[in-house]
Formats: sequence, C-alpha cells, structure tokens
Amino acid sequence: MRKVIILGLATFLSAADLSQVIESPDATAILKKDALPVPKQYIMPEGCVSNEKAAIARGQYLFHNLNGKDAKENPPEGISRKLADGKDKQYGNCVACHNIEGAKGYGDIGPDMSKYKELYMDSGVRNAQFMYQKIADPRLDNPHTHMTVNLANGLFSEREVCDLVSYISAIKK
Amino acid sequence: MRTLSISAALVCLALLSSVHAEEKLSMSDADKAMYAELLENNPAEMEVGEGEQLFNSLIGSAAYAKMLGVKEKDLPKTIAGFPRYVEPAKKVVTLSQSLQMALANQGKEVSKLESPEIIKMTAYIKSLANGQKTSIDVKANAHMKEMMALGQQVFEERRGGRGLSCNNCHSADIVGQRLRMQPLPDLGAKVTAAAGTWPAYRMTQGQMVTLDKRMQQCMENALLAKIPLGSREMVALEVYVTNKTKGNAIQIPGLKR
Ligand code: HEC
Ligand code: HEC
Repeated sequence: MRKVIILGLATFLSAADLSQVIESPDATAILKKDALPVPKQYIMPEGCVSNEKAAIARGQYLFHNLNGKDAKENPPEGISRKLADGKDKQYGNCVACHNIEGAKGYGDIGPDMSKYKELYMDSGVRNAQFMYQKIADPRLDNPHTHMTVNLANGLFSEREVCDLVSYISAIKK
Repeated sequence: MRTLSISAALVCLALLSSVHAEEKLSMSDADKAMYAELLENNPAEMEVGEGEQLFNSLIGSAAYAKMLGVKEKDLPKTIAGFPRYVEPAKKVVTLSQSLQMALANQGKEVSKLESPEIIKMTAYIKSLANGQKTSIDVKANAHMKEMMALGQQVFEERRGGRGLSCNNCHSADIVGQRLRMQPLPDLGAKVTAAAGTWPAYRMTQGQMVTLDKRMQQCMENALLAKIPLGSREMVALEVYVTNKTKGNAIQIPGLKR
C-alpha cells in the first residue's frame, strides 16, 4: 500500500518536474576559453615602422580586408589566406570602422584616418607608439573603447601590427 | 493572411527615407524592391502555418496552458512575457524551451531547439501574442533578476577573436553609426523591436530565424565563440535583449534584412 503511494507520488513528481527535458548545455567552458587577457601595455619593437613598399602593402591589405575567405584580391607576399591549421586567416577589417584613402564601403564608428600623418603625426599629437598600443590593445587608454583588440588576443603578430602602423603613417597618393 | 508587420514597415520607411546616403547604404535598390515585395507576402507565414499544425497535433493549446499553469484564454498574455520563470522547469525558460517541456509532458519525442519543428512551433505560439506588447518582467522574482544580471554581463563582456562585446556594436552611444555600410541597430527601438519581431524571415539567409539564432549570427560575424542554444547564458541574453524592447508590439513573423 505504502509502496503504491510512493510510486504514485513519484510519477506525479516526474510528470510535474520537466526541468530535465529542456535542452540546456553548459556554456561556461566555451566562454572561459573565449575570454580576453587583462589590458596590458605594449612597446613597439625595434624597427617597427617601415617605409618599405612591401610592409605598407601588407598593412594596406590587412586594413581593407575581413578575412582570407572574403578577400577579392590575392594577398601580398608575407600574408596568406589560411592559417597553418587550415582555418581562414582573419584580417583587420579596420575599414569597417575607419575611413582612409581609397576605402570602399567604410564605416564611421572610429575616427577617419585619411591624411593621418599630415594631420596628426607631423603636428606631434600622435606617434607610432600610440598607434601601436591602440591597435595591439585599445582598452589600455580607453576602457570603454568600441575598437577591436588585435595583438593581446593573438589575432595578429607583432609584425602585422607594425605593418598596419607603417601603412597608416605612410604618405598616400 | 496574417496582418503585416507594422514595425517592419517602419524599418522599410526608415531605410527608404535615408536615400541621401545611397551608395553607403547596406540595401541596394534591388534589395529594397525585394523587401517591399516580401512585406506584402512574408514567406515565413507559411512556416508559421506549419507550426500551427504541428503544435495542434503534438501539443494543443489546452495542454500547453495547463503545463504552464495558466488559463487557455491567458496564453497570449503569458506568451508576451517570455522568457519567464516557469514552475515545472524550476528556472527561467524561453518559449522554445517551454515547447520542449510541453512535448515531454505529452509523452512526445523532444525535438532539438535547432530543429525545424521547434522553430516553426515557436513562431506559431509567439504569433498568438501578436498585437500584445512584449511584457517581460525582469524583477518578477529572484530567478529573473539573476538572469537579467547575467544577461547584461554576457552582453557587455569583450571576448573572442576581435575582443568585441555585443555592447561594442549595440550600446546607446553607437547605434546609428555605420559598421562598413551597415547601420548599427538600436535593439530596443520601435523600428527594430528586436524581441517582438523574431522569429523573422531573414532576406539575407532566405529563411526564418529565431532570436537566439540571430544572436549567434552576430557572434559568428564578430568572431565571438557561439554560445549554445538553450544554455543559461543564451537564455540570459534573450532576457536582457527582450527587456530592451519591452513595450514594443509583437508582430510575428517579422521581416529582416
Ligand atoms: C569596431 C570598430 C573598430 C574597428 C574594427 C577598428 N577600430 Fe580603430 N578605432 C575605433 C574607435 C571607436 C576608435 C576611437 C578611439 C578609441 O576608442 O580607442 C579607434 C581608434 C583607432 C586609432 C587611434 C586614432 C587616433 O589617432 O586617435 C587607430 C590608430 C586605430 N583605431 C587603428 C585601427 C586599425 C589598424 C584597425 C584594424 C586592425 C582598427 N582600428 C579597427 C574603432 C574601430
Ligand atoms: C561587430 C558589430 C556587432 C557585434 C559585436 C554584435 N552585433 Fe548584433 N548586429 C550588428 C549589426 C550591424 C546588425 C544589423 C544587421 C542587419 O541589419 O542585418 C545587428 C543585429 C542584431 C540583432 C537583430 C536586430 C533586429 O531585430 O533587427 C540582434 C538581436 C543582435 N544584433 C544582437 C547581438 C548580440 C546579442 C551580440 C553579442 C553576442 C551582438 N549583436 C554583437 C552588429 C554587431
């Protein structure tokens, strides 16, 4: 008799408790793996800024393209479309937020980079080290920035950040 | 045929009226023409209809209301307040998850959140609340408060390949600016009415998409690891984003770019 009641209760409970049938995977490991390191200061390496055509061309390519899959033009020497593990190489897509000479379909979330050297560097308000830090990890001097993080999270190598600095600070025709 | 989505029409108007920025706009003339045509005849109406059939044969509104512990006539009002805490789940659930519960309760096989069945039925039951306003109550109980806080945290956390958060593109100080040629939408604005208009037919995808899937698409585009459907964090995001659009009319199915 008691058994029957308990059994009855159990079926009643299992009918009422539907918490187990809901799809509810654990996302904590995914989010932990995806987290960013804390903001950090980056010092530009020796010989970072270059006026070599090749470096500027790489910087230009990284600035204007999203990734190896979407890019229309072939990358210049020194940049590939794919990573060693076969995944698409991600580029800067800086043009999504910044206008600059020759930009097509640019956005306006970040400042306009046209005539950057003439307007900001020659006057001394900006320098290469400032740019290097901004691209590597913009959170350091602006915790609320809407700009992407590019070196701190391993998206780019030091050299690629230097290529970008070289491109932005180059005089454009 | 169901009535057309007013909010979608407003989006359309807003897009058409900004022709001065023509070449920088994300919609080409051909896209705009297609948008106007789809407004007349949203392809997702068919899926909502299929959802209705599935729902009626697998669950039925009487059983669904009973499972939720509400009167059948109160379903529209109840549905307009999702995601919400429901007693038989002992937690905050989305409409789609409540369908999984209802399926199990009827002794039916529980389909995946990703499945066409759940997506179509979700669109159908949400359409029962058409004309109502989204009425989520994030202060209703401790569970909702906790999920709202978690949602905000997930929304604001910078992570992934580009170190971006949802907030980096959807915060108040940035909406309306352009990412490439794309105006950043204010998720809470009447013209967007994000929570009230999903599931929606997405022109760029050629199919009906749910809000959680839409958020996953943003994650994918911005190189954030995709938070799995149904996880606490994804439900929390839905709570947070839905609360942004609280008070906006529900118009299912929506029509989006
Ligand atoms: C999602 C938007 C976004 C993207 C993508 C982006 N930026 Fe920015 N950028 C900003 C914003 C916003 C600022 C304004 C300053 C700040 O908040 O840090 C900025 C500032 C800068 C500055 C400093 C300008 C100055 O003189 O004050 C540089 C340099 C820069 N970005 C370079 C880049 C490069 C290179 C890339 C691509 C690798 C890039 N940005 C991608 C949004 C973006
Ligand atoms: C790099 C920028 C960016 C990031 C980061 C981003 N979004 Fe978006 N989001 C957009 C743009 C642009 C659109 C509009 C696209 C369109 O109209 O097709 C959009 C659209 C949306 C919509 C649909 C709005 C509607 O109803 O029409 C939702 C919901 C949304 N985002 C949520 C999120 C969430 C949640 C996150 C974080 C997980 C996120 N977004 C991250 C740029 C972004």
